[in-house]
Amino acid sequence: MFDFDATLPLMAVQFLLLAVLLNAIFYKPLTKVLDDRDNYIRTNETQARERLSKAEMLAKQYEEQLANARRQSQNLIAIAQDDARKIGATKIAEAQKEAQAQREEAQSEIDRQKQEAMQRLEEQVDSLSRQILEKLLGPELVNR
Amino acid sequence: MLSVLNGLNSVTLASLEVGHHFYWQLGNLKVHGQVFLTSWFVIGLLVVASLLATRNIQRIPSGIQNFMEYALEFIRDLAKNQLGEKEYRPWVPFIGTLFLFIFVSNWSGALIPWKLLRLPEGELAAPTNDINTTVALALLTSLAYFYAGFSKRGLGYFKKYIEPTPILLPIAILEDFTKPLSLSFRLFGNILADELVVAVLVLLVPLFVPLPVMALGLFTSAIQALVFATLAAAYIHEAMEGHGGEEHEEHSH
Repeated sequence: MFDFDATLPLMAVQFLLLAVLLNAIFYKPLTKVLDDRDNYIRTNETQARERLSKAEMLAKQYEEQLANARRQSQNLIAIAQDDARKIGATKIAEAQKEAQAQREEAQSEIDRQKQEAMQRLEEQVDSLSRQILEKLLGPELVNR
Repeated sequence: MLSVLNGLNSVTLASLEVGHHFYWQLGNLKVHGQVFLTSWFVIGLLVVASLLATRNIQRIPSGIQNFMEYALEFIRDLAKNQLGEKEYRPWVPFIGTLFLFIFVSNWSGALIPWKLLRLPEGELAAPTNDINTTVALALLTSLAYFYAGFSKRGLGYFKKYIEPTPILLPIAILEDFTKPLSLSFRLFGNILADELVVAVLVLLVPLFVPLPVMALGLFTSAIQALVFATLAAAYIHEAMEGHGGEEHEEHSH
Protein backbone atom coordinates (compact mmCIF):
# COMPACT_ATOMS: atom_id res chain seq x y z
CA MET A 1 0.00 0.00 0.00
CA PHE A 2 2.79 2.40 0.87
CA ASP A 3 5.25 1.56 -1.84
CA PHE A 4 6.86 4.72 -3.07
CA ASP A 5 8.62 4.63 -6.40
CA ALA A 6 9.17 6.74 -9.48
CA THR A 7 5.43 7.33 -9.69
CA LEU A 8 5.80 10.12 -7.14
CA PRO A 9 8.19 12.49 -8.96
CA LEU A 10 6.65 11.69 -12.31
CA MET A 11 3.21 12.49 -10.94
CA ALA A 12 4.54 15.76 -9.50
CA VAL A 13 6.06 16.73 -12.84
CA GLN A 14 2.88 15.70 -14.61
CA PHE A 15 0.82 17.78 -12.22
CA LEU A 16 3.01 20.84 -12.77
CA LEU A 17 2.72 20.38 -16.51
CA LEU A 18 -1.05 20.14 -16.12
CA ALA A 19 -1.06 23.35 -14.08
CA VAL A 20 0.97 25.15 -16.75
CA LEU A 21 -1.20 23.78 -19.53
CA LEU A 22 -4.44 24.65 -17.78
CA ASN A 23 -3.05 28.10 -17.02
CA ALA A 24 -2.59 28.60 -20.75
CA ILE A 25 -5.86 27.11 -21.98
CA PHE A 26 -8.22 27.59 -19.06
CA TYR A 27 -7.32 30.06 -16.34
CA LYS A 28 -5.86 32.85 -18.46
CA PRO A 29 -8.51 33.04 -21.19
CA LEU A 30 -11.46 32.59 -18.88
CA THR A 31 -10.09 35.00 -16.28
CA LYS A 32 -9.65 37.52 -19.05
CA VAL A 33 -13.24 36.91 -20.13
CA LEU A 34 -14.50 37.37 -16.58
CA ASP A 35 -12.51 40.57 -16.08
CA ASP A 36 -13.54 41.91 -19.47
CA ARG A 37 -17.14 41.19 -18.67
CA ASP A 38 -16.82 42.91 -15.31
CA ASN A 39 -15.35 45.95 -17.03
CA TYR A 40 -18.01 45.88 -19.72
CA ILE A 41 -20.79 45.70 -17.18
CA ARG A 42 -19.24 48.42 -15.05
CA THR A 43 -18.77 50.84 -17.97
CA ASN A 44 -22.23 50.06 -19.26
CA GLU A 45 -23.68 50.71 -15.88
CA THR A 46 -21.95 54.06 -15.51
CA GLN A 47 -22.96 55.02 -19.02
CA ALA A 48 -26.53 54.03 -18.34
CA ARG A 49 -26.50 56.01 -15.12
CA GLU A 50 -25.12 59.04 -16.95
CA ARG A 51 -27.75 58.67 -19.63
CA LEU A 52 -30.45 58.35 -17.04
CA SER A 53 -29.36 61.51 -15.25
CA LYS A 54 -29.13 63.29 -18.59
CA ALA A 55 -32.60 62.14 -19.52
CA GLU A 56 -33.94 63.26 -16.18
CA MET A 57 -32.28 66.66 -16.66
CA LEU A 58 -33.78 66.94 -20.13
CA ALA A 59 -37.19 65.98 -18.82
CA LYS A 60 -36.93 68.66 -16.17
CA GLN A 61 -35.80 71.18 -18.77
CA TYR A 62 -38.69 70.27 -21.03
CA GLU A 63 -41.11 70.60 -18.18
CA GLU A 64 -39.74 74.04 -17.42
CA GLN A 65 -40.05 75.01 -21.05
CA LEU A 66 -43.57 73.67 -21.10
CA ALA A 67 -44.48 75.67 -18.04
CA ASN A 68 -42.91 78.77 -19.61
CA ALA A 69 -44.82 78.25 -22.80
CA ARG A 70 -48.05 77.81 -20.88
CA ARG A 71 -47.42 80.98 -18.93
CA GLN A 72 -46.61 82.89 -22.12
CA SER A 73 -49.71 81.62 -23.82
CA GLN A 74 -51.83 82.68 -20.87
CA ASN A 75 -50.19 86.10 -21.00
CA LEU A 76 -50.92 86.29 -24.68
CA ILE A 77 -54.52 85.33 -24.14
CA ALA A 78 -54.86 87.91 -21.41
CA ILE A 79 -53.31 90.59 -23.59
CA ALA A 80 -55.49 89.63 -26.51
CA GLN A 81 -58.60 89.72 -24.35
CA ASP A 82 -57.55 93.11 -23.05
CA ASP A 83 -56.97 94.40 -26.56
CA ALA A 84 -60.27 93.03 -27.71
CA ARG A 85 -62.04 94.69 -24.85
CA LYS A 86 -60.31 97.98 -25.57
CA ILE A 87 -61.10 97.82 -29.25
CA GLY A 88 -64.67 96.95 -28.46
CA ALA A 89 -64.90 99.85 -26.08
CA THR A 90 -63.46 102.33 -28.60
CA LYS A 91 -65.72 101.00 -31.32
CA ILE A 92 -68.73 101.38 -29.11
CA ALA A 93 -67.65 104.87 -28.14
CA GLU A 94 -67.16 105.81 -31.78
CA ALA A 95 -70.48 104.39 -32.73
CA GLN A 96 -72.17 106.28 -29.96
CA LYS A 97 -70.41 109.47 -30.98
CA GLU A 98 -71.48 109.00 -34.56
CA ALA A 99 -74.96 108.27 -33.55
CA GLN A 100 -74.94 111.37 -31.41
CA ALA A 101 -73.59 113.40 -34.30
CA GLN A 102 -76.23 112.08 -36.68
CA ARG A 103 -78.92 112.76 -34.14
CA GLU A 104 -77.70 116.32 -33.65
CA GLU A 105 -77.54 116.80 -37.41
CA ALA A 106 -80.99 115.46 -37.80
CA GLN A 107 -82.12 117.70 -34.97
CA SER A 108 -80.61 120.79 -36.58
CA GLU A 109 -82.12 119.85 -39.92
CA ILE A 110 -85.47 119.51 -38.28
CA ASP A 111 -84.99 122.86 -36.57
CA ARG A 112 -83.97 124.45 -39.83
CA GLN A 113 -86.91 123.06 -41.74
CA LYS A 114 -89.19 124.03 -38.91
CA GLN A 115 -87.88 127.57 -39.07
CA GLU A 116 -88.23 127.61 -42.82
CA ALA A 117 -91.71 126.32 -42.54
CA MET A 118 -92.51 128.91 -39.91
CA GLN A 119 -91.01 131.65 -42.09
CA ARG A 120 -93.00 130.51 -45.06
CA LEU A 121 -96.05 130.35 -42.89
CA GLU A 122 -95.37 133.83 -41.66
CA GLU A 123 -94.93 135.05 -45.23
CA GLN A 124 -98.14 133.41 -46.18
CA VAL A 125 -99.78 134.91 -43.10
CA ASP A 126 -98.48 138.28 -44.15
CA SER A 127 -99.71 138.00 -47.69
CA LEU A 128 -102.98 136.52 -46.60
CA SER A 129 -103.51 139.21 -44.00
CA ARG A 130 -102.65 141.87 -46.71
CA GLN A 131 -105.14 140.33 -49.03
CA ILE A 132 -107.70 140.24 -46.25
CA LEU A 133 -106.84 143.86 -45.53
CA GLU A 134 -107.07 144.81 -49.20
CA LYS A 135 -110.36 143.12 -49.47
CA LEU A 136 -111.66 144.83 -46.39
CA LEU A 137 -110.22 148.29 -46.91
CA GLY A 138 -109.53 148.45 -50.52
CA PRO A 139 -106.14 148.59 -52.23
CA GLU A 140 -105.62 152.39 -52.10
CA LEU A 141 -105.81 152.56 -48.43
CA VAL A 142 -103.60 149.74 -47.96
CA ASN A 143 -100.86 150.86 -50.33
CA ARG A 144 -100.54 154.21 -48.86
CA MET B 1 -19.12 -21.29 2.17
CA LEU B 2 -15.80 -19.64 1.54
CA SER B 3 -15.35 -21.45 -1.69
CA VAL B 4 -18.78 -20.23 -2.79
CA LEU B 5 -17.72 -16.69 -2.00
CA ASN B 6 -14.52 -17.16 -3.89
CA GLY B 7 -16.35 -18.59 -6.83
CA LEU B 8 -18.70 -15.61 -6.72
CA ASN B 9 -15.71 -13.30 -6.68
CA SER B 10 -14.33 -14.65 -9.88
CA VAL B 11 -17.55 -13.94 -11.74
CA THR B 12 -18.69 -10.71 -10.13
CA LEU B 13 -16.87 -7.42 -10.47
CA ALA B 14 -16.23 -7.14 -6.81
CA SER B 15 -12.76 -8.13 -5.93
CA LEU B 16 -10.52 -6.40 -3.50
CA GLU B 17 -7.02 -5.71 -4.61
CA VAL B 18 -4.98 -3.47 -2.41
CA GLY B 19 -1.25 -3.31 -2.87
CA HIS B 20 -1.24 -4.91 -6.29
CA HIS B 21 0.04 -2.63 -8.98
CA PHE B 22 0.32 -2.70 -12.69
CA TYR B 23 4.05 -2.03 -12.91
CA TRP B 24 5.72 -0.33 -15.81
CA GLN B 25 9.45 -0.50 -16.12
CA LEU B 26 11.11 2.75 -17.22
CA GLY B 27 14.84 2.10 -17.40
CA ASN B 28 15.52 0.90 -13.92
CA LEU B 29 12.55 2.78 -12.47
CA LYS B 30 9.26 1.18 -11.61
CA VAL B 31 6.05 3.18 -11.91
CA HIS B 32 2.42 2.33 -11.19
CA GLY B 33 0.88 2.14 -14.62
CA GLN B 34 -2.73 2.10 -13.50
CA VAL B 35 -2.29 5.43 -11.70
CA PHE B 36 -0.90 7.05 -14.80
CA LEU B 37 -3.58 5.61 -17.04
CA THR B 38 -6.40 7.07 -14.95
CA SER B 39 -4.52 10.31 -14.34
CA TRP B 40 -4.10 10.71 -18.09
CA PHE B 41 -7.80 10.18 -18.45
CA VAL B 42 -8.42 12.87 -15.82
CA ILE B 43 -5.96 15.25 -17.45
CA GLY B 44 -7.48 14.58 -20.84
CA LEU B 45 -10.93 15.31 -19.46
CA LEU B 46 -9.78 18.61 -17.96
CA VAL B 47 -7.92 19.64 -21.10
CA VAL B 48 -10.82 18.76 -23.38
CA ALA B 49 -13.28 20.61 -21.15
CA SER B 50 -10.98 23.65 -21.09
CA LEU B 51 -10.52 23.59 -24.84
CA LEU B 52 -14.25 23.26 -25.43
CA ALA B 53 -14.93 26.09 -23.00
CA THR B 54 -12.41 28.48 -24.55
CA ARG B 55 -12.82 27.42 -28.16
CA ASN B 56 -15.46 30.00 -28.93
CA ILE B 57 -15.49 32.55 -26.15
CA GLN B 58 -18.61 34.65 -25.96
CA ARG B 59 -19.35 37.65 -23.83
CA ILE B 60 -22.62 36.00 -22.83
CA PRO B 61 -21.53 32.52 -21.83
CA SER B 62 -23.53 29.42 -22.54
CA GLY B 63 -23.13 25.69 -22.26
CA ILE B 64 -19.67 24.43 -21.42
CA GLN B 65 -18.20 27.92 -21.26
CA ASN B 66 -20.74 28.86 -18.63
CA PHE B 67 -19.98 25.70 -16.67
CA MET B 68 -16.22 26.22 -16.75
CA GLU B 69 -16.65 29.87 -15.82
CA TYR B 70 -18.65 28.72 -12.85
CA ALA B 71 -15.81 26.36 -11.93
CA LEU B 72 -13.26 29.14 -12.36
CA GLU B 73 -15.28 31.53 -10.23
CA PHE B 74 -15.55 28.88 -7.56
CA ILE B 75 -11.77 28.41 -7.59
CA ARG B 76 -11.15 32.14 -7.62
CA ASP B 77 -13.43 32.61 -4.64
CA LEU B 78 -11.67 29.80 -2.81
CA ALA B 79 -8.25 31.35 -3.45
CA LYS B 80 -9.53 34.83 -2.69
CA ASN B 81 -11.03 33.76 0.62
CA GLN B 82 -7.76 32.24 1.75
CA LEU B 83 -5.16 34.53 0.21
CA GLY B 84 -6.96 37.83 0.15
CA GLU B 85 -7.94 40.10 -2.71
CA LYS B 86 -4.40 41.37 -3.28
CA GLU B 87 -2.40 38.19 -3.44
CA TYR B 88 -4.67 35.54 -4.83
CA ARG B 89 -4.31 36.00 -8.58
CA PRO B 90 -0.93 34.34 -9.25
CA TRP B 91 -1.93 31.38 -7.10
CA VAL B 92 -5.20 30.61 -8.84
CA PRO B 93 -3.65 28.21 -11.38
CA PHE B 94 -1.87 26.14 -8.73
CA ILE B 95 -4.73 25.96 -6.25
CA GLY B 96 -7.30 25.57 -8.99
CA THR B 97 -5.41 22.75 -10.65
CA LEU B 98 -5.06 21.04 -7.28
CA PHE B 99 -8.79 21.27 -6.77
CA LEU B 100 -9.77 20.27 -10.29
CA PHE B 101 -7.31 17.39 -10.53
CA ILE B 102 -8.22 15.92 -7.15
CA PHE B 103 -11.93 16.50 -7.66
CA VAL B 104 -12.08 14.95 -11.11
CA SER B 105 -9.82 12.11 -9.98
CA ASN B 106 -12.01 11.33 -6.98
CA TRP B 107 -15.22 11.49 -8.92
CA SER B 108 -13.84 9.46 -11.78
CA GLY B 109 -12.91 6.82 -9.23
CA ALA B 110 -16.40 6.93 -7.78
CA LEU B 111 -18.45 7.26 -10.96
CA ILE B 112 -16.59 5.43 -13.71
CA PRO B 113 -16.57 1.65 -13.46
CA TRP B 114 -12.85 1.35 -14.04
CA LYS B 115 -12.89 -2.22 -12.84
CA LEU B 116 -14.60 -3.31 -16.00
CA LEU B 117 -11.30 -2.73 -17.78
CA ARG B 118 -9.10 -5.63 -16.86
CA LEU B 119 -5.40 -5.08 -16.40
CA PRO B 120 -2.83 -7.85 -16.24
CA GLU B 121 -2.21 -6.95 -12.62
CA GLY B 122 -3.77 -4.50 -10.18
CA GLU B 123 -6.85 -2.53 -11.09
CA LEU B 124 -7.76 0.91 -12.37
CA ALA B 125 -8.99 3.34 -9.73
CA ALA B 126 -8.88 6.99 -8.86
CA PRO B 127 -5.31 8.32 -9.12
CA THR B 128 -5.77 9.79 -5.65
CA ASN B 129 -6.07 6.39 -4.02
CA ASP B 130 -2.39 5.83 -4.66
CA ILE B 131 -0.12 7.23 -1.97
CA ASN B 132 2.39 8.38 -4.57
CA THR B 133 -0.09 10.81 -6.10
CA THR B 134 -1.21 12.33 -2.84
CA VAL B 135 2.34 12.68 -1.52
CA ALA B 136 3.39 14.25 -4.80
CA LEU B 137 0.61 16.81 -4.50
CA ALA B 138 1.35 17.45 -0.83
CA LEU B 139 5.06 17.95 -1.47
CA LEU B 140 4.25 20.33 -4.30
CA THR B 141 2.08 22.24 -1.85
CA SER B 142 4.99 22.40 0.60
CA LEU B 143 7.31 23.66 -2.13
CA ALA B 144 4.66 26.16 -3.13
CA TYR B 145 4.33 27.67 0.30
CA PHE B 146 8.08 27.76 0.80
CA TYR B 147 8.36 29.52 -2.54
CA ALA B 148 5.56 31.89 -1.56
CA GLY B 149 7.25 32.70 1.74
CA PHE B 150 10.69 33.26 0.24
CA SER B 151 9.49 35.28 -2.72
CA LYS B 152 7.35 37.47 -0.46
CA ARG B 153 9.63 37.95 2.52
CA GLY B 154 13.07 36.76 1.45
CA LEU B 155 15.19 35.33 4.23
CA GLY B 156 12.86 36.96 6.71
CA TYR B 157 10.73 33.93 6.10
CA PHE B 158 12.88 32.05 8.62
CA LYS B 159 11.79 34.46 11.31
CA LYS B 160 8.50 32.67 11.46
CA TYR B 161 10.29 29.75 13.12
CA ILE B 162 11.38 31.81 16.11
CA GLU B 163 8.37 34.09 16.35
CA PRO B 164 6.73 34.77 18.69
CA THR B 165 9.19 32.80 20.82
CA PRO B 166 12.16 30.53 19.97
CA ILE B 167 10.83 27.93 22.41
CA LEU B 168 8.38 26.84 19.74
CA LEU B 169 11.14 26.29 17.19
CA PRO B 170 10.90 22.47 17.26
CA ILE B 171 7.16 22.63 16.83
CA ALA B 172 7.49 25.14 14.01
CA ILE B 173 9.94 22.86 12.24
CA LEU B 174 7.75 19.86 12.91
CA GLU B 175 4.88 21.71 11.31
CA ASP B 176 6.66 21.71 7.97
CA PHE B 177 6.68 17.93 8.10
CA THR B 178 3.19 17.41 9.45
CA LYS B 179 1.59 19.65 6.87
CA PRO B 180 2.39 17.54 3.79
CA LEU B 181 1.98 14.38 5.84
CA SER B 182 -1.52 15.26 6.99
CA LEU B 183 -2.47 16.61 3.55
CA SER B 184 -1.40 13.48 1.72
CA PHE B 185 -2.67 10.94 4.22
CA ARG B 186 -6.01 12.65 4.65
CA LEU B 187 -6.69 12.51 0.94
CA PHE B 188 -5.22 9.05 0.42
CA GLY B 189 -7.00 7.58 3.44
CA ASN B 190 -10.37 9.06 2.59
CA ILE B 191 -10.37 7.99 -1.01
CA LEU B 192 -8.94 4.52 -0.42
CA ALA B 193 -11.28 3.92 2.52
CA ASP B 194 -14.25 5.05 0.47
CA GLU B 195 -13.38 2.73 -2.40
CA LEU B 196 -12.73 -0.13 0.01
CA VAL B 197 -16.04 0.36 1.79
CA VAL B 198 -17.88 0.42 -1.51
CA ALA B 199 -15.99 -2.64 -2.69
CA VAL B 200 -16.69 -4.56 0.50
CA LEU B 201 -20.38 -3.66 0.43
CA VAL B 202 -20.60 -4.64 -3.22
CA LEU B 203 -18.93 -7.89 -2.33
CA LEU B 204 -21.46 -8.57 0.40
CA VAL B 205 -24.67 -7.23 -1.14
CA PRO B 206 -24.18 -6.50 -4.81
CA LEU B 207 -27.52 -4.75 -5.28
CA PHE B 208 -28.84 -1.35 -4.11
CA VAL B 209 -27.34 -1.45 -0.62
CA PRO B 210 -24.00 0.10 -1.66
CA LEU B 211 -25.79 3.02 -3.32
CA PRO B 212 -26.05 5.28 -0.22
CA VAL B 213 -22.41 4.60 0.54
CA MET B 214 -21.52 5.45 -3.04
CA ALA B 215 -23.45 8.71 -2.72
CA LEU B 216 -21.64 9.42 0.52
CA GLY B 217 -18.42 8.62 -1.30
CA LEU B 218 -19.21 11.27 -3.92
CA PHE B 219 -19.79 13.77 -1.15
CA THR B 220 -16.57 12.85 0.64
CA SER B 221 -14.62 13.00 -2.59
CA ALA B 222 -15.82 16.52 -3.31
CA ILE B 223 -15.15 17.61 0.27
CA GLN B 224 -11.65 16.16 0.18
CA ALA B 225 -10.80 18.03 -3.01
CA LEU B 226 -12.11 21.22 -1.44
CA VAL B 227 -10.21 20.61 1.80
CA PHE B 228 -6.95 19.91 0.02
CA ALA B 229 -7.18 23.04 -2.12
CA THR B 230 -8.33 25.21 0.79
CA LEU B 231 -5.55 24.00 3.06
CA ALA B 232 -2.96 24.51 0.36
CA ALA B 233 -4.19 28.07 -0.06
CA ALA B 234 -4.22 28.60 3.69
CA TYR B 235 -0.62 27.35 4.03
CA ILE B 236 0.50 29.62 1.21
CA HIS B 237 -1.25 32.54 2.85
CA GLU B 238 0.32 31.72 6.20
CA ALA B 239 3.78 31.57 4.64
CA MET B 240 3.25 34.97 3.04
CA GLU B 241 1.74 36.60 6.11
CA GLY B 242 3.99 35.07 8.75
CA HIS B 243 3.08 34.49 12.34
CA GLY B 244 3.36 38.14 13.20
CA GLY B 245 -0.25 39.03 12.63
CA GLU B 246 -3.22 36.86 13.15
CA GLU B 247 -2.84 33.14 13.49
CA HIS B 248 -4.89 31.10 11.11
CA GLU B 249 -6.80 28.29 12.59
CA GLU B 250 -6.15 24.87 11.23
CA HIS B 251 -9.00 23.42 9.31
CA SER B 252 -9.02 19.73 9.76
CA HIS B 253 -11.52 17.25 8.51
